[in-house]
Amino acid sequence: MGALGDLARGFEVALTPENLLWAFVGVLLGTVVGVLPGIGPALTVALLLPVTFSLDPVSAFIMFAGIYYGGMYGGSTTSILLNTPGESASIITAIEGNRMARKGRGAAALATAAIGSFVAGTIATIGLTFLSPVMVDVALEFGPAEYFALIVLAFSTISAVLGRSVVRGLISLFLGLAIGLVGIDTLTGQSRFTFGIPQLLNGIDVVTVAVGLFAVGETFWVASRLRHDRDQVVPVRGSIWMTREEWRRSWKAWLRGTALGFPIGALPAGGAEIPTFLSYTIEKQLSQHPEEFGNGAIEGVAGPEAANNASAAGVLVPLLTLGLPTSATAAIMLAAFQRYGLQPGPLLFERNSELVWGLIASLYIGNVMLLVLNLPLVGLWVRLLAIPRPYLYAGILVLAGLGTYSLNRSTVDLVVLYIIGAVGFLMRRFDIPVAPAVVGVVLGPMAEDHFRRALQISRGDYSVFVTRPISLAILIVAALAIVVPVLIRRSRGRGDSR
Amino acid sequence: MERGDQPDSSRSRTEIVAELALALGVVAIGALVLWQTNEIRVAPTYSRIGPRVVPTIVGAGLILLGLWLAADVLTGHLTGPSEESEDADPTLPTDWRTVGLLAASLVVYLLLIERAGFVIASALLFTGAAFAMGSRHPIRDALLGLAVAVVLYIGFTEGLDLRLPAGWLEGIS
Repeated sequence: MGALGDLARGFEVALTPENLLWAFVGVLLGTVVGVLPGIGPALTVALLLPVTFSLDPVSAFIMFAGIYYGGMYGGSTTSILLNTPGESASIITAIEGNRMARKGRGAAALATAAIGSFVAGTIATIGLTFLSPVMVDVALEFGPAEYFALIVLAFSTISAVLGRSVVRGLISLFLGLAIGLVGIDTLTGQSRFTFGIPQLLNGIDVVTVAVGLFAVGETFWVASRLRHDRDQVVPVRGSIWMTREEWRRSWKAWLRGTALGFPIGALPAGGAEIPTFLSYTIEKQLSQHPEEFGNGAIEGVAGPEAANNASAAGVLVPLLTLGLPTSATAAIMLAAFQRYGLQPGPLLFERNSELVWGLIASLYIGNVMLLVLNLPLVGLWVRLLAIPRPYLYAGILVLAGLGTYSLNRSTVDLVVLYIIGAVGFLMRRFDIPVAPAVVGVVLGPMAEDHFRRALQISRGDYSVFVTRPISLAILIVAALAIVVPVLIRRSRGRGDSR
Repeated sequence: MERGDQPDSSRSRTEIVAELALALGVVAIGALVLWQTNEIRVAPTYSRIGPRVVPTIVGAGLILLGLWLAADVLTGHLTGPSEESEDADPTLPTDWRTVGLLAASLVVYLLLIERAGFVIASALLFTGAAFAMGSRHPIRDALLGLAVAVVLYIGFTEGLDLRLPAGWLEGIS
């Protein structure tokens, strides 16, 4: 009864005409911005955050949920038609979907991605509905030591498991942690790393960091090495209605992708990359047409797209129940909660149950809206891909300035944005992933808080982290997540040199 | 500008130098964090885990990571060129002219946003950035930038109740 009753009340909140309107505006803006090449879901959410500032929290989060899902849908359209993954989780869609588009089956690729995203998003939201209350009960048992260990686990998986180099991921994470230190120390009230600038006392907003790294840094990277022989947008050909054969090949892939994406996304280690890669590998193994993989196999779009969307819903489980963001997008959403003075975690379900369940209900609604928006209107979104590059990047910079300035109406934030943009340019130049830095900015202060509280309870005894069994187990997994990839790469490197 | 006019070995040698400079930069940031950690005041009576503990860990971590990266580079673990992307060609050398024009546009925006107002600053940023990225229609770009800025301004101030600086156009709306 519990979850269903709560969900029913959530639908009452989400189905008011006003909130339906905000949900629609959210999915529309999310799709439009998400379709723009070079703008992944994390940047979409960061750039559109100011739009929600003047709304009441419930409407703001309903709109925000729409932006989040809309950005995911929009990103897959771009991947298929332009072969530009806006984020690492869309790489597979970009490979296989773009091949399909080049073979004149672009419409079918878009359709299987959209319907697959709908199926996966809906099933995963059902999973979210029933798993969240369970996680809340578990979370209530956690003390500061366990929370600290969980954050360390998220740190190590985000920076070490993904990407090509463990040390580069960790550098990104520690840069984020250093940025997160700026401001007033919550436990003693001392200012840290503010260099005497009063505007820095409140810390550096994660939106500034995300916009600086993703938008400004990326724009400078593109400007520094402007490609003059660009690929053309592949025109959408074929019927948007999939053939019987294509349905037959897609539906199992959708379900398998969902089954991989949601549980892995819901783990407090997170990430959408692993389930999409796993889904692709599994579909290739199971397919009766393995030779089509790499040349535009529809299962290779259907499975990973479903996995990607299911994990996007899964990521909301640790975010809402534990207050732990495990992706760059989730980190920005956590910052949005904090702007309203809300702290996601077990207590949020008690104190703001209207908001949480309204948000979850609007995810169901947003999914339906997106399916309706995306199937018939895809031709319209495709036109956005043809925006001339100078206008695209000029527009991104204008939006970046607007988004950052409107946070506090302070030019100090713009200076910080430019500095972080320069760092982002260098990180791009040296192949250092930026997502760990964004997560580090948000999770760093939380990690410090739990770390020091745990030590206060233990009266300064550092063994508290390894004598509590749950904390110890999580920390061991976290250490393995760093050590194993290093060892694998070492042995592989030795194999190569032979 | 031509690709491949350098022999491969010298190309990778410049890459090693650049990577070592990066490692040095990471060590320097770590040192900066440790130095600023000493500036944090701690009440002498505060006996719990103070505000300096975590910054010390972060600073020391950055120094160690910089050294790890340097060791990786020196033992031949280069990562190769950056990921492919639609609009950027990682094999090209840095085009400092474009970067400089873009940076100049951003500085103008910073200086003007509170004086001339959001609309004028944004329109100029749009025009400047479009020019830097290769557009050669400054008048059309300026009109387009102005339109974008006005739509954003009206949408945010009227539709969403957010205040943005009106600047020189104060009173017109």
